Amino acid sequence: MELLLTNLGHGFAVALTVNNILFCLLGCLIGTAIGVLPGIGPVATISLLLPITFGQPATTAIIMLAGIYYGAQYGGSTTAILLNLPGEVSSVVTTLEGYKMARNGRAGAALTIAALGSFFAGTVATVLVAASGPLLTSVALSFGPADYFSLMLLGLIISAVLAQGSVLKSVGMVVLGVALGLVGTDVQTGQQRFTFGVPELSDGVGFVSIAMGMFGIAEIILNLERPEQRSVLAAKVGSLFLTKEEFSRATPAVLRGTVVGSLLGILPGGGAALASFGSYMMERKMSRGRAEFGNGAIEGVAGPESANNAASQTSFIPLLTLGIPANAVMALMVGALIIQGIQPGPRMVEAQPDLFWGLIASMWIGNLMLLVINLPMIGMWVKLLQVPYKYLYPSILVFCAIGVYSLSNNVFDVYQTVLFGFVGYIFSKLKMEPAPLLIGFVLGPMMEEHLRRAMLLSRGDVMVFVERPISASMLAIAAAAMIAMLLPSLRKGKDKALAE
Amino acid sequence: MKINTKDLLSGIILILFAVIGYWLNQDHALGTARRMGPGYMPMLTFVILLGIGAIVTLFALFSGPNPLDKWTTGEVLAIPAAIVAFFATYIIVERLNIFQGNYYILGSAILAGCLVLAIPHGWRALGLVHAGFALFGLLLEQGGLMLALVGCILVSALADPDHRPKGVLGMIIFLCVLCWWVFIKELDIRVNVWPQFL
Amino acid sequence: MRFKAGTVRRRGVIAGLSAIAMVGAPAFAQAWPSQPIRLIVPFAPGGTTDLVARLIAQGLGERLGQPVIIENRAGAGAMVGSEFVARAAPDGHTLVMSNIASHAISPSLYPANTVRYDAVRDFTHVALVTSNPSVWVAHRGAGITDLATLRARATAAPQGLDVASSGAGSSNHLLIVQLAQLAGIDLHHVPFRGAGPAMTAVIAGQVPLMSDSLPSAAAHIRGGSVRAIAMCSAERHPSFPEVATFREQGVDLVCDSWFGLSGPAGLPAAIVAKLNAEVRAVLATADVRARYAEFGGTPGTLDAAGFTRFVAEEFARWAPVVRASGAEAG
Repeated sequence: MELLLTNLGHGFAVALTVNNILFCLLGCLIGTAIGVLPGIGPVATISLLLPITFGQPATTAIIMLAGIYYGAQYGGSTTAILLNLPGEVSSVVTTLEGYKMARNGRAGAALTIAALGSFFAGTVATVLVAASGPLLTSVALSFGPADYFSLMLLGLIISAVLAQGSVLKSVGMVVLGVALGLVGTDVQTGQQRFTFGVPELSDGVGFVSIAMGMFGIAEIILNLERPEQRSVLAAKVGSLFLTKEEFSRATPAVLRGTVVGSLLGILPGGGAALASFGSYMMERKMSRGRAEFGNGAIEGVAGPESANNAASQTSFIPLLTLGIPANAVMALMVGALIIQGIQPGPRMVEAQPDLFWGLIASMWIGNLMLLVINLPMIGMWVKLLQVPYKYLYPSILVFCAIGVYSLSNNVFDVYQTVLFGFVGYIFSKLKMEPAPLLIGFVLGPMMEEHLRRAMLLSRGDVMVFVERPISASMLAIAAAAMIAMLLPSLRKGKDKALAE
Repeated sequence: MKINTKDLLSGIILILFAVIGYWLNQDHALGTARRMGPGYMPMLTFVILLGIGAIVTLFALFSGPNPLDKWTTGEVLAIPAAIVAFFATYIIVERLNIFQGNYYILGSAILAGCLVLAIPHGWRALGLVHAGFALFGLLLEQGGLMLALVGCILVSALADPDHRPKGVLGMIIFLCVLCWWVFIKELDIRVNVWPQFL
Repeated sequence: MRFKAGTVRRRGVIAGLSAIAMVGAPAFAQAWPSQPIRLIVPFAPGGTTDLVARLIAQGLGERLGQPVIIENRAGAGAMVGSEFVARAAPDGHTLVMSNIASHAISPSLYPANTVRYDAVRDFTHVALVTSNPSVWVAHRGAGITDLATLRARATAAPQGLDVASSGAGSSNHLLIVQLAQLAGIDLHHVPFRGAGPAMTAVIAGQVPLMSDSLPSAAAHIRGGSVRAIAMCSAERHPSFPEVATFREQGVDLVCDSWFGLSGPAGLPAAIVAKLNAEVRAVLATADVRARYAEFGGTPGTLDAAGFTRFVAEEFARWAPVVRASGAEAG
């Protein structure tokens, strides 16, 4: 404990130099800005800004890049709440309750709780990284392919309850998402699947294209078709502050989200994505306001937002302790470090204590800055909703278009987005929820990969999924969740049918 | 029998995807459970999808009524017309053989299809918003960002009858400046700003 | 209707434009580079190719007097970005970071109808930037220390010994196939999505062995989280003199991943010569040299003609291996 405090003290001494604070602030500002812009994500931005960091010391460079990364998480939730535009996997869930809250005139409250929850979760996760990074790494290492598969399966089953309408249809959408995720190069054999000879499809369908098309563009069209709803949207802005009731409902959600996010964030790959989905489903089942889910429940924003921020902090653990990047952003961080002449690896804590502890201290400082930057901005963001919709929608459209193009500098992505705009429109007319589809799309490919690897390593023995304790318990929870979910929802479906 | 039309269509869409996917998957080797081939997971997925689609369809026969909005004759006719426009443009532009690569053929076909779709009043927003998006892609690389922005904003602005020419002009200037500042000056994304043929 | 008018006008414009480009080509050569140079990296940011490119981009830009801007265009085993450059104007302002995947393996691996360029004829190969060997590493507790113990373990395992690689069709996958053939042992390939996850699995002991490129394995070997078994180089690597080569241990398994600079076919000779000289000058600076050495890369010294021959040889070398491996992407 004492050692931890000494180390953290050392970290703060490193992070609190004027230069490092400035670059941390700069990173957070840029991150927030690109998070708000649909399409342009942290990966694109960090690779664009990498040359700027060459002239800086390694610690400063990495502090700035980290600022961009979690700044983008903050910013992403802003557009998800205000405009139903999820720029990142983790903000898909935020659209579900957040956008509904905005329509109810509680956009300010949704943004406030997102910022506060994220800050709290970030603080806890930072302490966790500092105190038990190496220990948590061994947890992550004990996850084998069979365990990952079972975890993903659990995630998919969980996500079926995410949606509003019938559970059956959402299960269908999850599976459809998995099917969409099959497009591209098969990892195990390198064979092209469902690409129709289009080279751009060999890396799969773009997540951003699907999200922009099915959420963003489809929503614009639906709003244009219902002029009466737009005026309601603009008129109701409401107080920016949380009511006492909202605050007391959100607090336990933030706590639960922090725990879920911190734990899942450590897992390389799907961790951060699973975190916000997991938290949403937990709130839906456990929170006081579960009856309100689907109509703008504050727990549905507070939990997932806390979870995804906690996860984005703890996803540094595999990078810092093993030198292994957990996602594309982390891979870029590795690149930035190597350019700086530092090989990230298991010995980084001892070899580069300044970098390690400075980064951890700056994570917390960065979170504090984000809170300070974002809270006063909420008023401004909410004002955005008062811009007449006829001016707002072309702006959203061109920002989406540029964002989608800039992903890989390819117009094919733009046309692909048009296709998903049509699909999203048809689906929304038929009350088929896009959120479970996106979750299936994200988790499906990972699930296939782990399933096949598990079977490859076990030489075709299915028992591997029940013999490993982690996997077995995941499957047990999944089975229990499925039963618990299907029984009441079938009954509810019947009630609903009668009511209608 | 109270038919839930929305669920019925949803079920049919799911079944359709499953059947087409299953059919396309015939090309891929299934492999064994030990070393699964590229076709194994798709096969599982499409079979499950087919099953769910069938159940959704079945339930839809009893859980209604939940009808779709009524369509006018124009709206009904616009759909096949748009599809024809898409393929006709695709074939014509392909034959003209003036634009190599970069999906100009696909882009022009999408644009034509969307514009035709926008003819009846009910599909105007749907058609024009997408047309604007496609036009952006079509103009971007040769025409530059500014021209693409102007095209996209002009076409998509037609989707809202409230727009007045002055307002649209103001919006175009504002967005061009904003996008230049954000994307070119600050983020420095790799794209031509001005037309290449001037 | 507006659209149709636009296409007609544009056709004229494009025709005029290409005429100007043809006439103006020699003039460009004089003033080259007259605008920022786009260096296409045909992989996502963060990978080895991206890194290698970024390490030279800055120095190259300073020497040429125009910034060299990295642009990532990933997809189809690095073929999307390479095809883009093959079709670009040969004015020296658009280059690609050519590599063992884009110009030696992928064109044989992918079905013929998706391969839209000839790796040799459609490019002007300018300079070899760096190359690095592959290395085999083992989990520390796996009891594999050299080729002999590897062979013993593989023979003892009834259904083959698991070996991880960064992906199907990668050079490391092909090495596994080659070693199994050369040593007459049963190796069981376990592909991963990238070197990072594969290395995690080896550190965790889920897979005992891995064939990896030296840059991504270097830190783990130095840090002691995995054990190096054998280097796939002709001679011992200067940065890892303690690691024996496969050749020393009796199997002739040599493989270098390489990264080069190439432009579209028909690049003017003056530009090629200047670019080659400047790349080699950048590679000679102490800073770049040190950073490449850090992860085991050897700076390239070939002239343009030598590099062109090298690419052709590499292409010819891998085509039969790809066929023999049974790896396919179509």
